[in-house]
Amino acid sequence: MYEFAIAGMSAPIFLLVLTGMTVGMVGGFIGVGGGYMVTPALIVFGFPGYMASGIDVMHIAGKSVVATIRHRQLGNIDWVLGLAMVGGTMMGVEMGVRLLNLTKELGLSGMALLFGSVAIMVGLFVYTQIETHRAHKKIDQLTESGAEVGRELKATKLPMFFQNISLKPIIRCHVARIIISMWVVVIVGVATGVLAGFFGVGGGFIRVPALVYVVGATTHIAVGTDLLEIVVSGGYGALRHFMSGNVDMIAVFFMIIGAMLGAQFGSIATSFVRGPAIRYILSYSLGLATVGAFMRLVYLLTAQKYGFLNFFAVVFTVGEMIFLCLFILSLVYFSVRYRGGKWVPGWIPALVVQKD
Amino acid sequence: MAEVNRTRGTIKFLVWTVISGAIIAYFWMQYYNGTLLKQYYYKAKTSGWAVHANNFKDASKDKPAILQIGKFDKIEGLQAVPVKKGDLLPTNTNGIIDEKTVKEGKRVKLDGNTLIVMVPSTIKDSKGFKYRDTFMHKGIETDPWGGAWAVAFILILGFTLGTMAEGFTDMIGMKISKIKHYEGVH
Repeated sequence: MYEFAIAGMSAPIFLLVLTGMTVGMVGGFIGVGGGYMVTPALIVFGFPGYMASGIDVMHIAGKSVVATIRHRQLGNIDWVLGLAMVGGTMMGVEMGVRLLNLTKELGLSGMALLFGSVAIMVGLFVYTQIETHRAHKKIDQLTESGAEVGRELKATKLPMFFQNISLKPIIRCHVARIIISMWVVVIVGVATGVLAGFFGVGGGFIRVPALVYVVGATTHIAVGTDLLEIVVSGGYGALRHFMSGNVDMIAVFFMIIGAMLGAQFGSIATSFVRGPAIRYILSYSLGLATVGAFMRLVYLLTAQKYGFLNFFAVVFTVGEMIFLCLFILSLVYFSVRYRGGKWVPGWIPALVVQKD
Repeated sequence: MAEVNRTRGTIKFLVWTVISGAIIAYFWMQYYNGTLLKQYYYKAKTSGWAVHANNFKDASKDKPAILQIGKFDKIEGLQAVPVKKGDLLPTNTNGIIDEKTVKEGKRVKLDGNTLIVMVPSTIKDSKGFKYRDTFMHKGIETDPWGGAWAVAFILILGFTLGTMAEGFTDMIGMKISKIKHYEGVH
């Protein structure tokens, strides 16, 4: 047990390192900060809610730098796309925070947050599931016909619509191979920023699907570029949290050490898989987080009568982190076997790549 | 793509390990000499009495904690220092009992030169995992420059650790190539 002088409580260091590591792995793989997983975990360890939130945001900023460095090496970052989006994201985050304060004044914040997050996450979960299943099927068909399938396979024409909007200035994103109106990118940044600011998260779980389905980036590039975004938005959020007195730097430090290891593995793991595999994990992560948020919503709607709902919501969220890590580890394990020509389950070949 | 240069990787790993180590050592030094805590518990946001709430973590109505009021530079044990809004906080402060709370007299009472505290520092709700602080972290203002320093520290640490890890994979000969995003049907 370590005595955290600022938070004013004790917690085992290895739990913080472990949490940092698991969330680092998931975040490095699907390009999210993982705020929706870390905050409940820290509350379980005994940190006050506001401290949990502040520690989480501060550690996300540092962890994203670690993951961004590795994704840069993997060629997963489109700097033009990322920098074009940053301004919109920051503006959106500020608007989201103000919207949150407005709902607080109306006495709605808890409910509004949960209703909003459940609705958005269910919508994204359903859409990504349908789209990814379609892509999975298409890869199977292409493989059977003898075609060499690439890293990415998209089963939606939605990005074409947005790329055809010819509002100037037009930007050329060389890495993502996209020519698109800057306004589309800025508006995506503002929209995802509003949601991120309102829900108090990094916003990766909204921004990655937006980059794939609206802007038209490949999933790997969406993940890398989004992590670059999180460095900026997370840094800004961390400053605001510190100034509100919500951060215990020692706890952040231990989490960063774990996250450094996890983020390395998560980022490198992306090189073993195809785009739909990342979207699958993102989709399941959204689905599982929704169940946790739904339990909390029912708990609030029943006037906090059933304490076990809140308890299970937290347990479920912590379990989700472990499940996702195991899922990523299994994908890498089977990918290595597949490369070596060994037996793998039938659903694996469509999700992993045989060579670099 | 050229093979990994392991010697270069080893140098990169060692250099960034030393830099990361130096940054971490500096961070711990800041923590142990109290600078980190000073940045956090910087100024009084409200007028009242600066306290170290951990010292009365078991206080209750039946067994109140009695804090000695005085102008102490460092709060040790059951002591309270009167502060006005905007004052720099004495060392070891981790919360402020504001004047309003003392006037109400329900949780804290003023008795001559002592404060009688009748609530613990943290209350755990019966439902779920909710912890509520009574006076800890209350009424304090952090140093804005401390916030900028903390964010810069975390970003720099992330950079040095990330680069160190990059050096490590090079050193062990792990080839990490750029992903070919656009090969094959997509």
